[in-house]
Amino acid sequence: MKKLLALLLCVVMMLPAIALAADDGRIHITYSFWGNQTEAESVQAALDTFNAMQDKIFVEPMQIPNEEYTQTLVNYAIAKQLPDCGMVNENAVLYFARNGVMADVSDMYAGEALQPMDCITFKDAGVPVGYSSSNEILVLYYNKDMFDAAGVPYPSADKPYTWDEFVDVAKKLTFDENGKHPGEEGFNPEKIVQYGAFVNNWTWQMEVWALSNGGAWFSEDGKEVLINSPEAIESIQKVADLALVEHVAPLNVIPEDNGVGIGIGSGTVAMTTDGTWRLGTDFPNLDINYGIAPLPVMKEQVTLCTSGLTGVFNGKNQEAAYEFVKWYTREESNWEPLVLTGIWLPKSEYYYTTEEGINAWLGNEKYPYNHDMETGKKVLVDYTMNYAKPACWYFTPNTQITTNEILFTALQYVWSGERTAADVIAEIYPELCEAIIVE
Amino acid sequence: MTAKPMKKMIKYNRAESRTAYLCLLPSIIGLVCITYLPMLASFTLSLFSWNGLGAMKFIGADNYIRLFTKDTKFYASLLSTLQYAGMAVIGSMIYSLIIAMLLNRKVPARGFFRALFYLPYVLPAMAVYLGWKWLFDFNHGFFNYAIKSLGGSSVKFLDASGMVTPSLTLIAVWLSGNLIVIFLAGLQNVPRIYHEAAEIDGANAFQRFCHVTLPCMTPIIFYNLLMSLVSNLQVITPALSLTKGGPGTGSYYMCYMLYNQAFKSHKYGYGSAIAVILFILIAIFTGILFATSKGWIFYEGDDKG
Repeated sequence: MKKLLALLLCVVMMLPAIALAADDGRIHITYSFWGNQTEAESVQAALDTFNAMQDKIFVEPMQIPNEEYTQTLVNYAIAKQLPDCGMVNENAVLYFARNGVMADVSDMYAGEALQPMDCITFKDAGVPVGYSSSNEILVLYYNKDMFDAAGVPYPSADKPYTWDEFVDVAKKLTFDENGKHPGEEGFNPEKIVQYGAFVNNWTWQMEVWALSNGGAWFSEDGKEVLINSPEAIESIQKVADLALVEHVAPLNVIPEDNGVGIGIGSGTVAMTTDGTWRLGTDFPNLDINYGIAPLPVMKEQVTLCTSGLTGVFNGKNQEAAYEFVKWYTREESNWEPLVLTGIWLPKSEYYYTTEEGINAWLGNEKYPYNHDMETGKKVLVDYTMNYAKPACWYFTPNTQITTNEILFTALQYVWSGERTAADVIAEIYPELCEAIIVE
Repeated sequence: MTAKPMKKMIKYNRAESRTAYLCLLPSIIGLVCITYLPMLASFTLSLFSWNGLGAMKFIGADNYIRLFTKDTKFYASLLSTLQYAGMAVIGSMIYSLIIAMLLNRKVPARGFFRALFYLPYVLPAMAVYLGWKWLFDFNHGFFNYAIKSLGGSSVKFLDASGMVTPSLTLIAVWLSGNLIVIFLAGLQNVPRIYHEAAEIDGANAFQRFCHVTLPCMTPIIFYNLLMSLVSNLQVITPALSLTKGGPGTGSYYMCYMLYNQAFKSHKYGYGSAIAVILFILIAIFTGILFATSKGWIFYEGDDKG
């Protein structure tokens, strides 16, 4: 009896192996992703669609918890068990590329009608190693009701605020419990009831202000650190001073990737800078009568573009993986759940340069900013085409060290007002220069 | 004793120890494979420069030299770890001993209060820290709301690099329910007759505490001190869930630094070097505790006592 039971157990344990070995003549590839249960279900639904229309490729999902995602991929790479394709943190793309994990994608879109924009192409020493699945840019969100209550006209989509105008408007929208504004006699910064502005100081987003002020964080070839320029330093200090000196912004010393939540979404802040994905992820759940506008301008009109990447890893099933990733990340495959909800901006130029393309998403009544297409065209379309620059991780190696570790930690002294930006940057500059060197 | 029974004894002992080792085998294997070997691997790794994917490069003691001579964050990290551990250990020891003594009295609803003070310890850490985050928040937090209502000015509990560690130790003290339980058990073992004898001799409550309770409790205090020191030197959860090591290096504790360096920045050798130093640090403190323990621990029935 016991023996029989043992035999049965062995057979049961072998079943999955037998099932796996079943050859359906297709190439089986694995796609790795992070996400919650709902996201896992939608990924599975997409894979089912792909698998159903295919007779050559079969894609299996591999779900990895977000927190451990990059480390898990590293472990798989060491064990030579990498999935064939998968999501990659923006931060880790060049790290993987430099170590031979990312496949060369130069020819991936050869001959295709829709080409991903250059702005969202990850390049390792000039060679494309990945395309973001979508586009996202930084914009200014504002609470219309708060502007109405203060009798201040809405931010213009044609003529963005200068930084000084932005601070002035923010002062008008900030008041303490006695209704006094910053600069007025009797204003008590300890008892502020409503703040005028919150500039998201989540580290990578801060780069836009250096660019706006005529500076940069890194050179375009990704080999030099330029954050010690007076323009870049001044831009950081100006953002910090919104809370420390002007008293128009809530203090946010330890940044979180949650600009809307801390800012406009809290119901006590009138303007907030953050990414366009918030149109789909946050605003539908917030009962706020909001508008969008271009970012304020220090010296130059600019915004950052960025978005997560679905990468192809080096391996024997590369061709199949290219095929799947191309299908999986194209706008049409994600039209209803991601593009029309506002979570993704399209990644192909066609959707920005042709009337037809623009109308397809911005003109669709399901799109969150469809009610004001003119503003949408200026803030989302024009800015993407004319003023968007790629975030530093598209071309600078080791951003997981430079922005995420060194700058993230050091800038907190600036946000808390304990030290000046000039002082902090001077101290960490050598460390940053050392960190971007690739052996 | 004759030779025969002796042989029998040895044989019996041998059989018994064989069984013992057999039963111990799983834990020995576990200990070796998931504690000692990784420790060894970690030490070896600390002599290399390795980014996880590229080639490993032997660099000798360079990681250590860099930590002690170049990395300003490391000293900050060491200092904040010692500050946290020191304050958390002393704070939670005093707090739990006081609470345990109160709970040891015949107060009404004693069981309820005992459960109440133990409760924080069993709550999920993440929920606890999120709750405290709101209490400590600068802009909308409860503590600052209370302070401002009373006419004071806001305190940067978690938003100033000098304040963050004291604020976090407050949470650690509040979380020390396990120490309370152990102290409580110890208190119940303090023989009543000593108290009665002292009382007859005219000792007041404070004198009885100093001369009866405290000496009898020293073995328990030693145990709690050791455990809480070791666990607090390895602090990482509040830094991970609440402060991300900040502001600045205010809560950049060693465990957090090693996690960050190894698993976020992919500097595995460097992270391992920090782990080795942390290990040595804990070993030194434990050594000091054990070395001094003979002088101050009182064991009942011990002639030296």
